[in-house]
Parts: sequence; structure tokens; C-alpha cells
Amino acid sequence: MTFFLQMLSNGIVVGSIYGLVALGFVLIYRASGALNLANGEFVLFGPYICLVLLTSYNVPFYIAIIITLIVSAILGLVVERLVIRPLQHAPAISVIMATLGLASLLAGAIHMIWGHGTKIFPPVFPQTPLKFGGVIVTPVYLWSFVIVMVLLVVFTVFFKYSKMGLAMRAVADDQGAAQSVGMSVKFVYAVTWSIAAMVAAVGGVLLGNISGVSPIMATIGLTVLPVVILGGLDSVAGAIIGGFLIGIVQNIAGGYLDPLVGGGLKEVVPFIIVLLILMIKPHGLFGSKGIERV
Amino acid sequence: MKKSKKLLWMLLSALVVLVLAACGGDDDSATDSGTKGDSGGSTDSNAREVIIGGLWDLTGGTSDVGAPFAEGAEAYVGYINSKGIEGLNIKLIGKDYGYVIPEAQKLYQEHRDKAGVQAIIGFGTGDTEALRQQVAADEFPFVSGSLSENLKDTKESPYNFLVAASYSDQGRALLKWIKDNHEGGEPTVALLYNDTAFGRSPVEDMKAYAKEIGVKVVDEQVIDVKATEAQSQLLNMEKKNPDYAIIQQTWAATSTILRDAKTLEIDTQFMGLNWTTGEGLFDNVDAATAEGYMGVLINSMPGDDVPGMAEIEEYVTGKGKKMEDINQKFVQGWVTAKIMVEGIKKAAELYPDGDIKGAQIREGMESLTDLDLGGVAANVSYSADNHAGTKEIRIGVVKDGKWEAITDYISFED
Amino acid sequence: MRNLFVRESGNYKTSYVNDMKLFGTVSQKVKIAVIVGVLLLVPLFTSNYWIGLLTLCAISAIGAIGLNILTGFTGQISIGVGAFLGVGGYTSAIITSTYGLSFWISLPLAGLITAIVGGIFGLPALRLKGLYLAIATLAAQVIILFIISRWTSVTGGTSGMVLSRPSIGSFTFMSNTSYYYLAIVILLLTVLYATNLLRTRVGRAFLAVRDRDIAAQIMGINLFKYKVLAFAVSSFFVGIAGALLAHYTMIVSPELYSTTVSIEYLAMILIGGLGSVFGSIIGAVFITLLPVSLGMAIDMVTVYFPDLYHLLSAFKEFAFGLVIILFLIFEPGGLAHIWLNIKKYFKLWPFSY
Repeated sequence: MTFFLQMLSNGIVVGSIYGLVALGFVLIYRASGALNLANGEFVLFGPYICLVLLTSYNVPFYIAIIITLIVSAILGLVVERLVIRPLQHAPAISVIMATLGLASLLAGAIHMIWGHGTKIFPPVFPQTPLKFGGVIVTPVYLWSFVIVMVLLVVFTVFFKYSKMGLAMRAVADDQGAAQSVGMSVKFVYAVTWSIAAMVAAVGGVLLGNISGVSPIMATIGLTVLPVVILGGLDSVAGAIIGGFLIGIVQNIAGGYLDPLVGGGLKEVVPFIIVLLILMIKPHGLFGSKGIERV
Repeated sequence: MKKSKKLLWMLLSALVVLVLAACGGDDDSATDSGTKGDSGGSTDSNAREVIIGGLWDLTGGTSDVGAPFAEGAEAYVGYINSKGIEGLNIKLIGKDYGYVIPEAQKLYQEHRDKAGVQAIIGFGTGDTEALRQQVAADEFPFVSGSLSENLKDTKESPYNFLVAASYSDQGRALLKWIKDNHEGGEPTVALLYNDTAFGRSPVEDMKAYAKEIGVKVVDEQVIDVKATEAQSQLLNMEKKNPDYAIIQQTWAATSTILRDAKTLEIDTQFMGLNWTTGEGLFDNVDAATAEGYMGVLINSMPGDDVPGMAEIEEYVTGKGKKMEDINQKFVQGWVTAKIMVEGIKKAAELYPDGDIKGAQIREGMESLTDLDLGGVAANVSYSADNHAGTKEIRIGVVKDGKWEAITDYISFED
Repeated sequence: MRNLFVRESGNYKTSYVNDMKLFGTVSQKVKIAVIVGVLLLVPLFTSNYWIGLLTLCAISAIGAIGLNILTGFTGQISIGVGAFLGVGGYTSAIITSTYGLSFWISLPLAGLITAIVGGIFGLPALRLKGLYLAIATLAAQVIILFIISRWTSVTGGTSGMVLSRPSIGSFTFMSNTSYYYLAIVILLLTVLYATNLLRTRVGRAFLAVRDRDIAAQIMGINLFKYKVLAFAVSSFFVGIAGALLAHYTMIVSPELYSTTVSIEYLAMILIGGLGSVFGSIIGAVFITLLPVSLGMAIDMVTVYFPDLYHLLSAFKEFAFGLVIILFLIFEPGGLAHIWLNIKKYFKLWPFSY
């Protein structure tokens, strides 16, 4: 039983990180209809900044986080202005390809500045694992779980009640109509991308604390795609619940089925799940069905 | 829109000019441009030139070990040229393929067709295996950082040479050590590896050998080479309660395994093959987590007190650096290049006239017997039907954040 | 004989057959003959190195045309190309190495089997659109590679399989030049097929599906049949490209067909021009040669700044992304569109405005 509980708890906490990264995808899709395949690099960028601040300049952690968030927001703004704005009216595949190009560009830039080696975070979270009756959890994971839940609540409230949130939903629904009632679409896009970049940076800092900051972290961008699709491309709750689901299924499948197949299921299972779910629910679990007009 | 069209035209024309320039520069050799170290040779006009092509991973997934490896190989060629070799002018052209195999394919063609290399130093199992048919057809001896068992097969890979004990032999040596040193009944072992050619290479051989000598393999777990956590696999392993776990990974996954094992309080003794050992492990885990971890050392650590270290120290300090700036993978690259150069020297002796071609270098390498590497690595011997080099390794343990050898060069056949 | 440079001024075609002809005027026929002639005579003038590169370009072009049939003609985004290349390569490897049949049988078989696999993975296309379909194809990529690495008894698992070069009688295609001719001939056949595809009923159905699939369905085009057919036809060519590549490098292994390869092919057709056969070829050449030319540029610069080698290696990645973004922003029609603009300029000269 402990085995199952440990798998479950591991799945939940790992899933919370997936949820964080997936949130970045969903935010951008929700406001601008684009799938940002460069999210992995957004996740990668934040921790490097944070690390430099912590180690080279000896800035306390809380201030370093705030500066990291500001820098990531600027990155989001720059990307939106230079890459996404010119492609406003291009077909979906062009935007996807542009984000892929952007991913390559950012990865190259990060490699040029910081090289390829792994760097460890100085320990900011307590290192000793906590035990809950036989189930072991490291504090970092616990923090990420808490942060994700907080963000879930914050964003749900944001999109439902705040002026900016409503503006974002309006722009996503019908750009022309939103413009005609006086909303600045450019401003909304800019805000969306900066928020998404900030969320990705938080996810990156947490991930960096767990396993060290290295270019390999960017692959989480692709690994999290099944999570995004599973939850539905435009659902905040879907992203987070999808993250938990995939994390749990991954670990349980890994725990119980790995011995049968000779291992390595952890990487494939999310995609199999996605394929199956998409057959039943073509827009993901919580995604809204688009209405196509001929 | 006009301005941006102009910009695009300029970019395109620049690209066209670049390609044309490259076309034009076809016949003159752009040889030295890829390397960092000084690989200009002796000024002896009678010297015969031999060009070695290098395929490095400087920017890809295994670049943490690939970059120092490349540095070491290039350093050795620079060193040997600064000393000068009688009648020989050796050049090393290294190119980065970033562990993307199709790139290695293109760079190999560049080496073969443009630079006119006669031998190749490769790096990863991926590129070594992908190119072994071609180097056999093109007759270029190929040494590399890959120590995969099937490179020994002289029928399938007649031009590949192993510069250290293969992964399977390393695994066998570890199993033998376990058998000899375990107290209390039959030792139980788990195998942890990743799902690539590199990871799976020694697994079947280790299982077969374990059966032979009476060690029980109770579990196998696959952990991705880029994994950031391995808790489910380690918990699965803990269910079988093995005494030892042998890891075939690089530093990244090894540190993940050690970290998660500590968190989950698993008290198995972890041991690893050669790519899990070395200073780079401590980039990812602190000394306390790695304490007591054992592994295969196929090369000495920089600063070890062995005769072969003197020349490395001479070169490194001559460049204004310190021994602390290099690591064990640098030493591995150095040794790899050294073995190839020795083979070339032998080939020059066997064929005192005319150009030295790949087939002759292969003969030269096959005539190397008990090549003394000064304790920096196990001595190697080759012959026409044995490209394995050596089966000897040392086993080391992590003590206080440093690697310490606990055995001398031994093999599983001792 | 009429003036070779005569161009048609005005539309005087009086029958449907005339309108759809590929080589109507004499100048068109001559143009094609010249192009084919140049392609076949290239090996006489260039070094071995460039022949090898051009062979790789040709093989990529075949794959790119296959992908363009799916994404450019039928509008179904697919990120699974890498895996289908793998299926083609492995099929050919298994047929020639394990069963000992000749290359000339295994090549079309590789195409057929990849077409079947492609068709199966195209089944989701019925329910999914746009981004969701793209992710489903990505899932196909990951799952196929997983199966290849696990099915050790058939595929040799992660160590891959070894192949040999094809041969006719006693002549083996060992040299760069001979393989180049093989690749070019198959490329020309592929181009012929793809260009003709657009003139047939099936091709027009594909275009209709791309533009508005619901409207097409209303008009009576069986969406299911044509979408699956698009996947199958596209995978056929990708499979052939995979088999050719496998026999060229004489090795197959799962590491050769990663997601990076899929993204590269997507870049090829996007930069070359979606929906254009000519664009696929140019795109393939461009993307294949881009790392090579960047490498040469880096080599030239490294002579002056040797310590920057590591920096400049990462620059290749940066440059790749930058080029893609610039193309998408400034010329979404791709290189093919630029080429058409150049032709138009000369056609209308000196009256271009």
C-alpha cells in the first residue's frame, strides 16, 4: 500500500510542476490562439537569471525571484512584439513554426551565454525530506504543489472577475469585436505573454531546484504538450488537473507496468493517454469546442 | 514592406555569397580552422602528413563529458606536435556534431571528402555505431569515447578500436569484485540503465556473466538519460532489495539516481561504469549524497601520482592553466588521441615510403602490443583479430568529495 | 522552329486537355530537358564532397515532398515525419538484412508499409483538427520510436541494424556518384508524381479539404477516405526517403529519427513554401545546407578568434531559429514565392511595377 501511496504522492507533486509549465501554454493559447512551443526555453531562461543573481551577486532569494520575474516578463514582451505581432494574421502552422524557430533561437542564445554544463542551485529550500506516514516527500515538491494550487485559484479568479482577465477572454473570443469596444488588443497580448513568461520562470526555478539548471530542462516543453492537450488547450483548470493526471498515471504505470515492458514507459505513457483521450474527447477534457463556420 | 524586402534580399545574397565562397574554397584545404589547439606540425619538408578527423559533442546532450574529451584529444596532438615527430606531420581537425547523428554523417563526409582525413576520433556510441559501416568501406581506423561491446566484432566493425575496457568488460569486472568482496551469501544486483544503444550495451553480457559466477541479478530499471527524477523506478528496485546496483548512465542521470535514492533512504550500494565517474558528478550532487558511491575508473584523475601524468602536467602548465582546470574526461581524450598517434607512428615505421593511408594505420594499430600509457590508463594491445585493447579497469570510491582508487588495474579474468 | 524564348501572352487554350498540360509550349519542354540534363551532369563537375551533400539534399527533398502532400496540399499538420522515415528505413533494413531480399523489392515495400502505418496514424485526423492533430502526430512519433526500440527481436532494439548498399547484378552503388544518380532518378519520379497529383481528382479533393473541409464534405468529398489517403500517400514518399537514407548511411537506429528531424522537415516545407513541389525541393536544399554553410562561416571566423569556437557552435542553433523566424515574418510564401517573384520580375521587365 505504501508503494501505491508513494507513487501517488510522487505523481501529484511531479504533476504540479507539469501543471505550472502547462499553464504557460494555456495562457498564451487562450489569449492569442497560438501554441507557444518555445515555452520550454522560457522555463529554461528564468532559473539561469535567478542562479546568476544568487551566486554572482549574492542577492537574497526573495529579491532574486522578483528580479527574475521582471526579467522574464520583459522577455515575454520582447518575444511578443518581435515575433508574434508580425504573424498576427498568419495561419496556425506558421505561428507554430515560428515558435519552434524561437525555441531554437533562445536555446542557442542561452548556450552562447551560459554554456552547456549543469549548475546547481544553492539550497534555498530545506533539504531533508518530510515523511507522512511512510510516504516521503521533499520540501521542494511540496512548495511546488502549494504554488500551483495558489496559482490555480488566482488565475481562475483573474479570468472571471478582473478587468484584465475579461479583456483577455474577449480578445481571444473575437479580436475585431474587442477592438471595436475600445480594448487595446496590443496591450492585452503584451500582458498575456509577460504573465506566461513569468509563470514559466517560476516553474523553471522550482525545476532547477530539484534537478539542477541545465539545457536539458527545456525538453519539458515537449513533455508537457500531452498535459496541455489532455486538459484542453484553453482551460486553466484543465492544464493543472491534466498535469496531476499525467503525473499520477506516469508514475503508476512506471511503477507497475515497467517490469513487464522492460522499462521506459514513463516517457511514452503520456502520449498514449493523450491519443486515447483525444479519440473520445477531441478537444481535451475541459477544452471548449470550437464552432466552425463554413 | 519595401524595407523588409530589402533586408531579406541582403540576407539571401549574403547567404549565397557564403555558399559560393565555400564552394570556391573547396580545393584548398581549410584544415586548421576547426581546432583550438596548435596542431601545426614540424617544418620538416620530408614529413608525411596524416590528418585525423575528430567528431565531438561540444553542444549536445552529452557535452558535459564531450567537451573536456575533445579538449584532451586536441591537447595531446598539440603536445606531440610541439615535441615534433620524426618524419611525421599530424593534424587533428575537430568538428562539433552536437550528438545529432545526421550532423555527424554530414561532418564525416566533410572530413572524408574535403579534408582528406585518414583516421577518425569519434565520441558517442551513436555516431560510432552509425559510421562503423562507412569507415569500414572507406578504410579509416576509428577510435572513440564509445566502449560498446559490439565494436569488438572485427567482422562487423573491422576498423573500430576500443581504447579502454568495453562496457561489458567493465560490468564483468564490477560483478567479479562484488562476488569476491561480498560478505554473507549470494550477492544480489540490480541494473540501472537508459534506453539507448549506449545504455543497453552491457546489459545482456552482464546478466550472462553474473549467472556464470553466481551473482543474482534481481532487477533491471530503465531510467531516461535526461531524467530529472527516478523515484518510481528506484522504489520498484527497492522492492527486490538488491545489495548492489550497477549504473550505466552519464553524470546527469547518475546524480538523479543518487539524489532520489538518498531521499527515499534506499540503502543499496550504488556502483557505476566509466561515464558515471569523474569530477562532473559533483556538479549535480553534493559530496554527502555521493559519499560511498563506487565506480569504474578507466583513466587516472588529474594530479594522480603516476608517471604518465607528467606530460599532461607539462602541457597544461605550459598553456598557463592549472591541473585543477582539467578533469578526468580530458585525460580520457588525451589517452584516446595518444593511442591513435602511436598507431600512426607504428604505421610510419612499417611503411617508410609513400603516403600513410587508413589501411596502413590500422595495421600499425594492430601491431601495438602492451603500449605503456604510464599508469594513466590500462596498457593496450591489439592484433588483427583483437581490437579490444584491454579488459582492465580500476575501481574507485567517492571519499570526501573526491575519487579514490581502491584497486589497481584489474580485470575480471584475474 | 519558333523562338525558344517566346512566352504565352494571353490564354488561347481551347480544350481542357490543353489547359492542364504540363509541357505545353516548346520552351517548357526545353526548360525541363535542360534542368534534367544539368542534374544528371553535375557529378562531372563537382567534388565528391558536394555530390554527397547533394545526395542528402535529394533524399530530404523526397521526404519533404511527401510531407508537403500532407501539410501543404491537404492542410493536415504532422510532426511525425521522423518516425515515418524510421519506419521506411527499418522496413528496408529488415527486408534486406533479415530476409535477404534485394533492394529493388524492399524499396517499394518500404514505401507501402510506411503508407499503411501512416494511414493508421491518420485515422485520428477524422476527429481532430489543427493543433490537436499536430499533437496526435507527435504522439505517433514517440510511440513508433518506442515500439522500434523495444521490438528487439525484429529491429535489433537500440543498437540498430546494419544495411548494405544496393546492387544490380555485379555493380554495387558504393560510390557517392552512383548513389547520387539513384537518388536523383527517384526524386524526378517523385516530382512527376506530385505535380501530376494536383491535376487529378484526388489532388483536387486534397486541396478542397485544405481550404474548407466541412464545405468539401457538403460537396460530396468523403473526408475520411481522402484524409487517410493523404496520410498514406505522404507516408509512402517519406518511407521511400527513409529507405534511401538508410541504405546510404548503411545503418538504422532509433536515435536517427528523433523529433528534431521532424521539426527540420517541417522547417523545410515552410521555408520552401507550403503547397509547392518546387518549394519542397528548395526548402530541403536550404535546410540541409544551412548547417554546412554556417559551419564554414564559423570556420572562417574561428581562424581569427580561436577561443570563440564554443560560442560559435551554439551560434548555429541561434542562426537556424533566426532564419526560420525571419522567413516566416517577411516571406511567408517561402522561397518558392521569392522565386516566382524573381521570374515575374524578368517576365515583366522592363515594365515591372
